Amino acid sequence: MIWFESLILQRTLIGSILAGLLMSIIGVFVVKMKISAIGYCMSHGAFAGAALGVALAINPLLTAFLFASFTAFLIGPFAEKAKLHIDIITGILFPLNMALAFIFIALSPEIGLKADVGSILWGSVLAMTNSDIVYLVSLCSVTIALIFLFWKELFAIMFNRKMAEADGINTKPLVYFIVFLTGVVITLSLKLVGGLLIFALLFNPASTALQFSYSIRKTMVLAPVIGIASCLSGLFFSLIFDLPIGSCIALVSTLVFAFSVIVSPKRRKGGREL
Amino acid sequence: MHEIIKLENVSTTYEGEKRPAIKNINLSIKKNEFVYIVGPNAAGKTTLLETINGLLTPIQGKVQVFGQDVRKDGAKIRSEIGYVPQDFMVDQNEPYTALDVVLMGMYGKIGILKRVEDKHKAKALEVMELLGIKELANRPVGKLSGGQQQKVMIARALAKEPKILLLDEPFSNLDVESKEKIPKLIYQLHEERELTTLVVTHDANQIIQNVNRIVIMNEGKIIAEKTGKKLISSLKEFWWLPHTEAVE
Repeated sequence: MIWFESLILQRTLIGSILAGLLMSIIGVFVVKMKISAIGYCMSHGAFAGAALGVALAINPLLTAFLFASFTAFLIGPFAEKAKLHIDIITGILFPLNMALAFIFIALSPEIGLKADVGSILWGSVLAMTNSDIVYLVSLCSVTIALIFLFWKELFAIMFNRKMAEADGINTKPLVYFIVFLTGVVITLSLKLVGGLLIFALLFNPASTALQFSYSIRKTMVLAPVIGIASCLSGLFFSLIFDLPIGSCIALVSTLVFAFSVIVSPKRRKGGREL
Repeated sequence: MHEIIKLENVSTTYEGEKRPAIKNINLSIKKNEFVYIVGPNAAGKTTLLETINGLLTPIQGKVQVFGQDVRKDGAKIRSEIGYVPQDFMVDQNEPYTALDVVLMGMYGKIGILKRVEDKHKAKALEVMELLGIKELANRPVGKLSGGQQQKVMIARALAKEPKILLLDEPFSNLDVESKEKIPKLIYQLHEERELTTLVVTHDANQIIQNVNRIVIMNEGKIIAEKTGKKLISSLKEFWWLPHTEAVE
């Protein structure tokens, strides 16, 4: 029994580190590209998909991935083709995804699925499986490799997309790539943090890191450190006080952000950044 | 001489607008021409520049740069164009240094999957030195003054060693000394590197000597083109242009 509990804890620990790392790296792009509304919409798309998986008693990861990908398609190429402003398409999709998620949860068979519903709503320390860890490790490797390969183009787009385009960078596929990647990373982190709160892990560590640094490269290093620390602290408080892990991670990362605003050198005269 | 920019019957409309910002524009610019585009606010000057480099797609007509269709080969063409946008200001907390911003201008030309090398950094610093902003290279760009930021954007456009320069009100935020010095420097680089240069201004007083042609725009149309000698003084007939009374 102790061995079993230790195995679950190990998986959750590794899952927390990987989710914190991935979400905060992607979060820097989401914040700097000013596509927070997209991130918000994608997280709820994945949430609705996971709820459908639970309702149909099939792998929620698969349906979450399909929903997140479809949401990415609607926000990206579809909205561009239909000439729909980003505020309109995200404003329509956000309540739609929430409505679908709650309908799917309401339709879920009650017996034996309460834990599944709970884990997609606010995360669970018990939810991570060996497969989830394998997926997260693979995604982590692919994400870091792709960001390394396209770093200079992504760097220029984060500064200003129009200027990047004016300098001969084909920005459209790279922006779609970040939108799609956001969906995949959210999908794989959903079980741990939960669909209602996952946006906090996407947004908070990146926003916190930006309070301390005038260098985007340092921000890309600092954000994952804050993301991982928030996840591990959230896990710790969740285990100690028997609270939902997603809520604990969201609370810790929000408190860290609030603290960073207070101590940020950017708000002090003569303050030195990291 | 070879035409490097050619617009045939081009009209561009902004999304959600019925009235085109530029209408039925015909314009040919030859290699190594130095052209000023002058006109009051909302004359369509910025729209014209952004239609030439393909940032805006025209609703009618054909835009060719280097003999290629901008709609088809936009990214490749833009990698050879240095563009300074109008009133580009960076938020003071942006996590980019002035050197980062200058280097970014070269990324399209360096090409995808290729790394930034020391020679690119050396080139960026060399141009920053020419503009007198080398010592600001490692400062956060958002902390610089409006004039310094404008010099950073000019350095960004020049560092990539473009074949065409499109400058939109590039001297508007500069101090008096720089307003004298920087246009001369740009003209010098234009001559040395055989560039084709288009400068937009609403202020007739900012036009430098030695310019080859002045294109006058109003209400989205080209209403006159001036070439030949005493170009700047010929602007006096367009008395309604800002500061025309000051031209000599």
